Amino acid sequence: MSRLRYLARKTVWLAVTLYFVITFNFVLFHVLPGNPVRLLARSGHLTPQAVADITRVYGLNHPPPVQYVIYLKDLLHGQLGISYTYREPVSQLLGQYLGNTIVLLTAATVLTIVLGVLIGVVVANRRGTGWDSATVTTSVIGWSLPTFWTGLILTFLLGVWLHAFPIFGMQTPNAVYTSGLQRLEDIGAHLFLPTLTLVIVNIAQFVLVARASVIEVLAEDFMVTATAKGLLPRRILWRHAVRNALLPVVTASALLISLVVGGAIEVETVFSWPGMGLLVYNSVLNRDYPVIEAAFLVFAVVVLLVNFASDLLYQVLDPRVREA
Amino acid sequence: MPAETNRREFLKRAGLLAVAVPGAAAALDACAAVATSAKASTIRVGWAIEPDTMNPLTTYSTQAVEVLQLVYDNLIQYDLQLKPEPGLATSWSYSPDGTSITYKLRSAKWHDGRPFSSADAKFTFDLIKTKQVSQYAQWVTDLTAAEAPDPATLVLRFSRPQAFNPGLAVPIIPQHIWQSMSASQIQRFPNSAPVGTGPYKFVNWKKGQSIEIARNDGWWGTRPAAQKVTWILFQNEDVMTQSLRTGALDICPEIPPTIWDGLAGAQNIKAVSMQSFSFHHIGINVSENPNSGGNPLLKDRTIRLALSYAVDRKQLVDIALAGHGLPGSVILPAGFGEWHLDIPPGKQFNANPAKARALLDAAGYTLKNGSTVRTSKDGKPLSFRLIAIQSTSVDVAAAQLFRDACAKVGIELTLTTLDANSLGSTVYNAKAPNWDIFVWGWDSGVYDPDYMLGVPLCNQIGSNNDVYYCDRHYDQLYNEQATVIDHARRLALVREAQQYYYDAAAYIIMWYQAKLQGYRTDTWTGWTPVTGGMILNFTRDNYLKVRPV
Repeated sequence: MSRLRYLARKTVWLAVTLYFVITFNFVLFHVLPGNPVRLLARSGHLTPQAVADITRVYGLNHPPPVQYVIYLKDLLHGQLGISYTYREPVSQLLGQYLGNTIVLLTAATVLTIVLGVLIGVVVANRRGTGWDSATVTTSVIGWSLPTFWTGLILTFLLGVWLHAFPIFGMQTPNAVYTSGLQRLEDIGAHLFLPTLTLVIVNIAQFVLVARASVIEVLAEDFMVTATAKGLLPRRILWRHAVRNALLPVVTASALLISLVVGGAIEVETVFSWPGMGLLVYNSVLNRDYPVIEAAFLVFAVVVLLVNFASDLLYQVLDPRVREA
Repeated sequence: MPAETNRREFLKRAGLLAVAVPGAAAALDACAAVATSAKASTIRVGWAIEPDTMNPLTTYSTQAVEVLQLVYDNLIQYDLQLKPEPGLATSWSYSPDGTSITYKLRSAKWHDGRPFSSADAKFTFDLIKTKQVSQYAQWVTDLTAAEAPDPATLVLRFSRPQAFNPGLAVPIIPQHIWQSMSASQIQRFPNSAPVGTGPYKFVNWKKGQSIEIARNDGWWGTRPAAQKVTWILFQNEDVMTQSLRTGALDICPEIPPTIWDGLAGAQNIKAVSMQSFSFHHIGINVSENPNSGGNPLLKDRTIRLALSYAVDRKQLVDIALAGHGLPGSVILPAGFGEWHLDIPPGKQFNANPAKARALLDAAGYTLKNGSTVRTSKDGKPLSFRLIAIQSTSVDVAAAQLFRDACAKVGIELTLTTLDANSLGSTVYNAKAPNWDIFVWGWDSGVYDPDYMLGVPLCNQIGSNNDVYYCDRHYDQLYNEQATVIDHARRLALVREAQQYYYDAAAYIIMWYQAKLQGYRTDTWTGWTPVTGGMILNFTRDNYLKVRPV
């Protein structure tokens, strides 16, 4: 019963937060100076009638409060509007870019979290050794590298100099694939450099969090008890210490995933990866309100859902949260 | 423990796999590169700006027009000397009074197999005229009737003679696809599968990645060698140019000056600099609108002349543009050849701070008791706001040089940088333009003086006229040249208009920047340099004429 109440409370909060996000988005982007129609019209001699027509097609002739009501109404009907720049439905546009972002960031995020945690646990077990300090130093150096710069250096080293990996885009333009596998290979090759860049600059936080957390748990009394019971050291480390040390990692992961849906704009720029970060950046410059609003709506939903999921994961991992 | 060994084995194998898969893909890439360099079949173009839409009527982007001009035919095309050559029209003639043009059309087929006829051409012009949906509407303002007396003839009738032949600008669209759409439906129509009569058929547009077109073997003209043309979008111009070096691209039509300099001596690459149809300028708010927030002192031509004399355009080109351009003067860039008015250096308002000071002194704008900023007789300081676009680094550099040059003659400028959209809506706020001076540029939309000469017209206030200049005599000069068909007479009028606007000093044209392009010499041969660029220009012929090496 209390669990249902908890769920209901969370859901109501979710809805209220979403409403505020939607409203905030609308207000935020409409108070920005700039006018999308003006930007379009700059490129050619448009007659005043044509400008008025375009303004009407995009509903910009209404005062902002009316635009807001129309926006809410359309949202309820599942309509995200038409992009001012591309003049096609936002949902189509968003679908393409979101898909690309998910491909890139799933690879990078999973690798970062899994590798980071594994390395963190291993060096925590060997704390104080040369391995430990070398790993910590290397990962901190990686963390301090600017993403943009790292990407360019990898491009020059592995792409231009060694010719080992393609340096731009998601697939080879004009490639004709004989099989789906070949296409996957092509995308995989294109994924390599951007993924490597993201892992290098992000892995430190997981190495450090996992390491610190495991070291803390290893010092607890129940560790001594486990050893006294005669359990294998490996089992103690992975079953008993790591499980208890995972909470901060879950928090860090939730934060990373929330950041990551926004698109890794720097990596996307260096490698010309057609993802959400670029779409949003260009849409802000073009005052493409429908795209920006829809994109931020997606971000908000993802952040809220990820937080919700991490709350639930806490409960699974730690019985104390369950009882609280 | 067996489990442990297994895990190690697994890790080892996974490790091998991780090395092997990208390795294999890289090897595949290498094969692909060898295959294309053996005999090129695709022209691969790298650029950094994505088109807006594939709808030829509602597009405002040069990049979209670049793609669409190979998918749709105009009645008349530009050749590699930018002279008119037959398109869908094999010949055209003016009536004696110049008010009607008769086009003889060829037989052609739409990409969907339907036959093209004069009804399609008539439909295109009628649609643009009646629905006013397109930027091409500017070419049909005087159109009174479009007639198709037989399937191979189109007659356009105008209320007055037309110096510019609209057949050169308007892409002909198929009636059977567009006829049922209303103006607002056309505005929303993405045209994701364009059907034209042109030399290439549209294949696909992967948003944020690439656009591909494939040869139309049923095209009426000489079959081009390239089976495909692909435009690849880059978000980073460094990586774009590196890709030209590695052989992943064949040509880059827009390379930033410093990166272009780096291409000198690169293997198998030719870097080409050509004149363009563009300029960058300093615009001064001369609005007579009572709600204008511009500093009224700028309505005094003496101050504008002083601003113009204060700055050295050669220095702007050398420093801000790394030398890749010509110092500016009149509103028509030097790329327009004979249309461009050459004012002798001695008669230009340029690089003469002493003259600027003398003019200001004589007009009573003096430096009082040790101040560095001049004041007018009634005590108003010559202090103005200057705005430029943050991301256009050449403009920001030029604005800084301009500010420093003006300080030397006793005029104070405060520089603020904005994003392009904010600057646009500040400058174009026609109801109450609240700004003093900006830095921006223009690119001619057509290969004709008309476009740029049309910017400072009274009726363009609220539209293109960015400094709110309005002068009846200038309007008259413009209107006259637009209706004169006799070349020599029109030339004289066009030059007179340039001088007249130059003398008003509302625009300080800083430079005519060069078009910097680069191409590989080992894939395609026969790229012909053209004023305005080998590609991304008014002519499409370089795409059609290059041959594989």
